[in-house]
Amino acid sequence: MVTKVLCVAEKPSIAKAVANHLAGGQVQTRNVQGNPYVKNYEFSYNFPTWGQCSVTMTSVLGHLTSHEFDPQYKSWRSCDPSALFEARIDTIVEDDKKPVAENIKRQAAYNKVLYIWTDCDREGENIGTEIRSVATQGNQSFRQPGNTVRARFSNIERAHIINAARSPVQLDEAQSNAVSARIELDLRIGASFTRNLTMSLQPMLQQRSGEDRSQVISYGSCQFPTLGFVVERYIRVRNFVPETLWGIKVMHEKDRIKVNFNWARGHLFDRMAVIILFERCLTAKTARVTKVQTKPTSKWKPLPLTTVELQKCGSRFLRLDSQRVMQVAEQLYQKGWISYPRTETDQFDRGMDLRALVQKQTQGGPWTQFAQDLMNGGFSQPRSGRNNDKAHPPIHPVNFVVPASLSQEEQRVHEFVVRRFLACCSQDARGSKTEISILYGSEIFNTSGLVVLEQNYLDVYPYDKWTSSQDLPDFREGEVFEPTEARMNEGQTSPPGYLTEPELIALMDANGIGTDATMAEHIAKIKDRDYVQTRPRARQQRQQGEEEEYEPAEAAEPDAGAGRGRGRGRARARGGRGGGAGRGGGATTGVQEFIPTTLGVALVEGYENMGFETSLTKPFLRKEMELRMKAICEGRKTKAEVVHESIEQYRDVYIRTQQRLDSLRAVTGTLVGTPGQNGILVSGTE
Amino acid sequence: MATSSPDEVSAPIQVYLTSKGTPPSPDWLQSFLPTIKLNTPIIALQKTALFRILATDLTTSLDKSSLVLLPATATTPAFKEQTIRGPLTVQVLDIEDIGHSRWSQVESIEAQERGETTKGREVIRVVPDEEADAAINTTQPASPGPHKLLLQDAAGTKIYAMELSSINGLNMQMTIGTKIVLRDVLVARGMLLLEGRTVQMLGGKVEVWEKKWREERKGRLTQGARG
Repeated sequence: MVTKVLCVAEKPSIAKAVANHLAGGQVQTRNVQGNPYVKNYEFSYNFPTWGQCSVTMTSVLGHLTSHEFDPQYKSWRSCDPSALFEARIDTIVEDDKKPVAENIKRQAAYNKVLYIWTDCDREGENIGTEIRSVATQGNQSFRQPGNTVRARFSNIERAHIINAARSPVQLDEAQSNAVSARIELDLRIGASFTRNLTMSLQPMLQQRSGEDRSQVISYGSCQFPTLGFVVERYIRVRNFVPETLWGIKVMHEKDRIKVNFNWARGHLFDRMAVIILFERCLTAKTARVTKVQTKPTSKWKPLPLTTVELQKCGSRFLRLDSQRVMQVAEQLYQKGWISYPRTETDQFDRGMDLRALVQKQTQGGPWTQFAQDLMNGGFSQPRSGRNNDKAHPPIHPVNFVVPASLSQEEQRVHEFVVRRFLACCSQDARGSKTEISILYGSEIFNTSGLVVLEQNYLDVYPYDKWTSSQDLPDFREGEVFEPTEARMNEGQTSPPGYLTEPELIALMDANGIGTDATMAEHIAKIKDRDYVQTRPRARQQRQQGEEEEYEPAEAAEPDAGAGRGRGRGRARARGGRGGGAGRGGGATTGVQEFIPTTLGVALVEGYENMGFETSLTKPFLRKEMELRMKAICEGRKTKAEVVHESIEQYRDVYIRTQQRLDSLRAVTGTLVGTPGQNGILVSGTE
Repeated sequence: MATSSPDEVSAPIQVYLTSKGTPPSPDWLQSFLPTIKLNTPIIALQKTALFRILATDLTTSLDKSSLVLLPATATTPAFKEQTIRGPLTVQVLDIEDIGHSRWSQVESIEAQERGETTKGREVIRVVPDEEADAAINTTQPASPGPHKLLLQDAAGTKIYAMELSSINGLNMQMTIGTKIVLRDVLVARGMLLLEGRTVQMLGGKVEVWEKKWREERKGRLTQGARG
């Protein structure tokens, strides 16, 4: 008796790939009524668990269901926004997803086992439970634990998929609940605050700006802190007061080499102090060498690649903003070229056969020779970082692909992933560093020289720079000399730059807001909502001795075929923003920096003014929410507890905001709206 | 235990305070004696006296005649260098961190005021970033100092001093009015150059000055930054 198994993946491309791997090519494809993208693939497969099976593999298109308030709360005027903290939430299937849901229900009736193949992260677990609940409507028996199972996989490579297929596990209810909690919180808090803010501020804004702007001032518990970082940096730059500083420079020429010595104190902000110290140097006349030390040094090869790191590097080296990088990485994953791009893990499991992966890269591409050298004995176990999300390995190439068969942007990202992986598997770069210290008067001065002896990983990873300095002449400890030149110099402090995307990502990560999966979305949202704008950073003057940064080989072209985005988060079918073609971002020269609009500044300032307890623009409220999500995943808290706790925190803030609404209006009003002003803060000439 | 008379205790107290570098003026001693219980052990009285005197303004509480004072040559920039043997007792009127820009210190204070350093509410603003230019643009001071002080001796003469090397206990948490004893200390162009071996921290403070100093610090730094 042949068992019938229904497999459901998260996206059509995954369904197709898995079906073909398992069926060995013997697949029958059927269309699905009402949707051109989703297909049902039919084939036979022998699962160890159930024996010979007749399999139907299909997919959904991201989240199957979405959540909305009970219709009586739909209109903004229907209730006080704070009622949304408790209002009933309905789970519905939106019109465009109805055919997909129907397909699942129908197929469910014919099958005995439901096998979930959604991506293995929290959102995936949640989508898995959505699929299960829809499928159960067509077949009650899926409710029983043994009849619904789940596949654990990190990439779409054939052997890996087959392995995964043969060892199903259970759906992780805890992770799914964490996502449900987040969805509910984002809905309640987002909606109530958005309505409240908009209704409170809109009339005044409209009056001020004179336009008929029915602008929604939207609130998101993660977007506001993200905006907060941008605004705070902006204000820091604006308020910056430059100060004069003084230093002492010593230069000595020996063996026809000019050696510059750096003052151990760096520089001081008191002119008198420096003059006095400088005079003592001159009085001493001679300097004595106190330390000559030559020792081996190395530049460590990079850590295995995580999502946050990919986004930062994407911004810095690949000229792709974080959202675009993730979209491209997602495409590469779906096509089976790289592993799952959403991971926090920066250590490779000891049992993983990394050599086999290196072997695959010897087949072609500009790194062929390097990969071959690794196979011929140069291979070295990658470094291990401190993070392991236990779900996925670090991002790595899974198969070989001819670069020319990928789009321009895919090539750039793919190349980065391959080079990074190969660099991880090679040796640290080695060199020899000489450090010399002298005592001149009462002051210590230092200089150093570097000789790079072995490039090693640097040969395949051009994104890091390490070059030999000039040769140093010989100095002996105890040697005394009269410096060729000693003088005092003066300089000035300069303001920091506006926040760049890699910096913003690093700040979000360091402050615990946004998971690797969502950071790029939050950044995209604050651009979307007109709270910030981006512009290329002006080329800054290079300081002496500063290394040139890596530049990508060709200028990029925007990629037209962006394909379906992930559509996660709120699960509403957006009209597709499409790649990086949005405002200000995308593939242009120079790293992008963020400038808040007047509205963005007004909101942050307004909230800052209301006091410490209400600050929605500080990360800690969101950070605490994220920690509570984690607690649900680890079984330490229930969804109900977390929703309750977070709602109470935000309700508190809501009440305080209400009490000080006038203060918020006052600040917003002052900052926004000289009639006709659009909200652009910084003109192009600044 | 028999109760001592004021005269009996005043001598040992005076000797003790003098040995510490803070010989009391007769006036101060007179004002101190009525405040103590004469049947307390003498050692405890001595300690109390030291504690109290360290909390006073040196220019009023010490006996100038039995103290080493700053020579006039010390405060003139004309003199390139000289050594003061001491022991020279001084009090701290002001302290600055001259290794970091005033503006960066203002920003630190403002971050604190916004609550960003409160436990559980910390906001990290600077992330170690490979491409960031190290020294000039950081706001969070890597290591504090060196520090520049404004000192005053018992005669009221003021002089600047600078740490040549880091001295234990000499930092921005130090209280205004702290007493220090200096020995064999260098003076160059009117500025004392302090090192660990020349400095002995006695401690103490003047409450009123300390409070005022802390309150005005941000304003002073801001003004100093603006030049």
